[in-house]
Amino acid sequence: MKITIQNLTKKFPARNKKGKEVVAVDNMSIEIPSGKLVGLLGPSGCGKSTSLFMISGLESPTSGKIFFDDQDVTTLAAERRGVGLVFQNYALYPHMTVEGNIMFPLTNMRLPKEEAKQRALEAAQLVQIEDLMQRKPSELSGGQQQRVAIARALVKMPNVLLLDEPLSNLDARLRLQTREEIKRIQRETGITTVFVTHDQEEAMSICDIMVVMKLGVVQQVGAPQAIYDNPTNLFVANFLGTPPINIFEGEVKSGKIYIGDEAVLDTEVPDQKVYVGIRPEGFIYDENGAFSLNLDHIEVMGRDKTIVTAHGKSQKPTVRSIIDSDIYVNDQSPVVKFNLKPNKVFLFNAETEERIR
Amino acid sequence: MANPENKNFFAKIGEKCKALWESFLALFKKKEAQEVAAETQSGEVFVGKELTAKEKFLRFLKAEQGWLFVTPALILLAVFTFYPIVNAFIRAFQENYNPLSPTKYTGIGFENFVRVLKGDTGTGGATFLQCLVNTTIFTFVSVPLSTLLALLISVALNSIKALQKAYQTILFLPYLTNSLAMGAVFATFFTIVGTKNSTDTVGLVNIALGWFGIEPIDWMKGGKGFVWTIGQIRIPWTKYVVVIVYEIWSGLPFKILILFSALQSVNKQYYDAAKIDGASKSKTLWKITTPLIMPMISYLLITGIMGGMKQYTSIVGLFGEQMGIDYDMGTMVGYIYRYISNGQMGYAFAGSLLLFVIIMIFTVINLQASKKKVTY
Repeated sequence: MKITIQNLTKKFPARNKKGKEVVAVDNMSIEIPSGKLVGLLGPSGCGKSTSLFMISGLESPTSGKIFFDDQDVTTLAAERRGVGLVFQNYALYPHMTVEGNIMFPLTNMRLPKEEAKQRALEAAQLVQIEDLMQRKPSELSGGQQQRVAIARALVKMPNVLLLDEPLSNLDARLRLQTREEIKRIQRETGITTVFVTHDQEEAMSICDIMVVMKLGVVQQVGAPQAIYDNPTNLFVANFLGTPPINIFEGEVKSGKIYIGDEAVLDTEVPDQKVYVGIRPEGFIYDENGAFSLNLDHIEVMGRDKTIVTAHGKSQKPTVRSIIDSDIYVNDQSPVVKFNLKPNKVFLFNAETEERIR
Repeated sequence: MANPENKNFFAKIGEKCKALWESFLALFKKKEAQEVAAETQSGEVFVGKELTAKEKFLRFLKAEQGWLFVTPALILLAVFTFYPIVNAFIRAFQENYNPLSPTKYTGIGFENFVRVLKGDTGTGGATFLQCLVNTTIFTFVSVPLSTLLALLISVALNSIKALQKAYQTILFLPYLTNSLAMGAVFATFFTIVGTKNSTDTVGLVNIALGWFGIEPIDWMKGGKGFVWTIGQIRIPWTKYVVVIVYEIWSGLPFKILILFSALQSVNKQYYDAAKIDGASKSKTLWKITTPLIMPMISYLLITGIMGGMKQYTSIVGLFGEQMGIDYDMGTMVGYIYRYISNGQMGYAFAGSLLLFVIIMIFTVINLQASKKKVTY
């Protein structure tokens, strides 16, 4: 099912007379194609969970509209939207068994008991918890509880599956495993899925489409790789990628990008002050390179190595550049020199922080 | 216990105990110091040493010193709880017990119990069985209804936002009211004063019934047409209605207080999850909310039933010291009290022992039933 969101805004009233009204989601307009896995990504407090709850119907928008296919569901109650929602801490009913939890949505649909049991079993098999049906939630591990929550959301065959920070309560290893699991389940069922995360790696690894948000405003929508390669502004460039992009204060003068006194790259951009963003993989080690940085130390990872350097114009104390582990780097010299890959270098307006190049 | 003389007495005992305990402590410290000195001198391990009887006793005291701490409480309990229980237990089997006669009692046996259960006590008025039936019906009708009503009111209270605190206070106020005063007020609600067919003199309930064209009933008196008879047991149902309505009403405040705070502690996310799962409001109430606060509901039922079986003041408040006409609304505690005050104490002892057993049985059944339902 296609989800269309038009000019969605959510304002929370001020707590008291002195307080300020909070705009959690500001004029959000996106289109989520049918059968895709979509990630709402952003730092905490950016309105991504609020957006999710508005899609689910648990929160009602201040203005704007939500459509499922062509049906306007903006004012439809949550219980009638037919969405499945996995809560951040799962919200399994503690007094019911796993089976009772999974069957609960079906009993509300007045399904015959036998059929409900059968469908609950199928849902449990999909998430591989069919052995745990008679347990109580308190007897399950975090990962198992999460699977039960997914099964409960899937069992009524929803048109839309929503997941609120589905991996945040799991340990690192389980997180990797579960995110692949979510991808698999989404592929198998073909349900339009929206999930919320603050972890860009998580979002990039499984999303078909990524929506990057900041302070309630959508910054960029697109495929993960496309956003990574073409961030629209400094925030998006900064938010995506591990290790993060290196940002320098720079200037464009007569067709050349200057960082400090060095002209590091040619450009057609008119003369102005800029922020220069260079991805860690955008450095080419070259003893006669145009860009010189002060060597701090080298981290060897096996597959590649990270040269950690410092530069006076860098926004962060260290600059990280990743190069092939085969390349010999003279770690005795206090200065390392690089050439830059033009497609890994972004220029941002120094005032608006919008992308220029 | 509130007697100031008693207080002084126990304060003195407390001081004595404290002094004793301190002397013990001093003794241990001395002993320990000696032991340590001995060990360091001879270099041998103390454990292997033969102990004198006195040393053994002191060691035992030291190991079991916890008992010393609970002694004051134990003494109080022994004097005011254990002794009366055991005493009542013994006296219940003594026939024609009379503390004033030189022999005190005439024989030992089950005579008291037989007479109590047969209703053959030589005194008029309601029998023990009548009182048992009264108490059981009052309790088992009013406690569940009161709890159910309290649940619904708390859920309603929980779902409103405006004036929630004010409503909460108003609903709790009856709890502060004296039960005798409440009983008197309820009695006037249900009563008829003066001529029977004059609507001016009937209580509120009869006025309300009058709107539906129902003739005023003297609820407080009952009368011939309003009594069901089962064998020797008489059930004057109009009076039963008064008691049960009163009991439900007077039980509400505390139950609402408990259930409301239980509801407030339920994680709101379960309601969101239930909404997403498409559950209706009533289904959410019965399948999600109620099971989640079941520990509190079961607590209220158990304590409510225990309290209900022991009720006394409410009946006195409604029907006066005679507990209706010749004790016909009597409760079990009322029965016991009646035989204490008229000097036939043997029956009172037997009655209280029976009451104890009955409450015990109900409580055990309750606990067993709630074990299955309550935990999650």
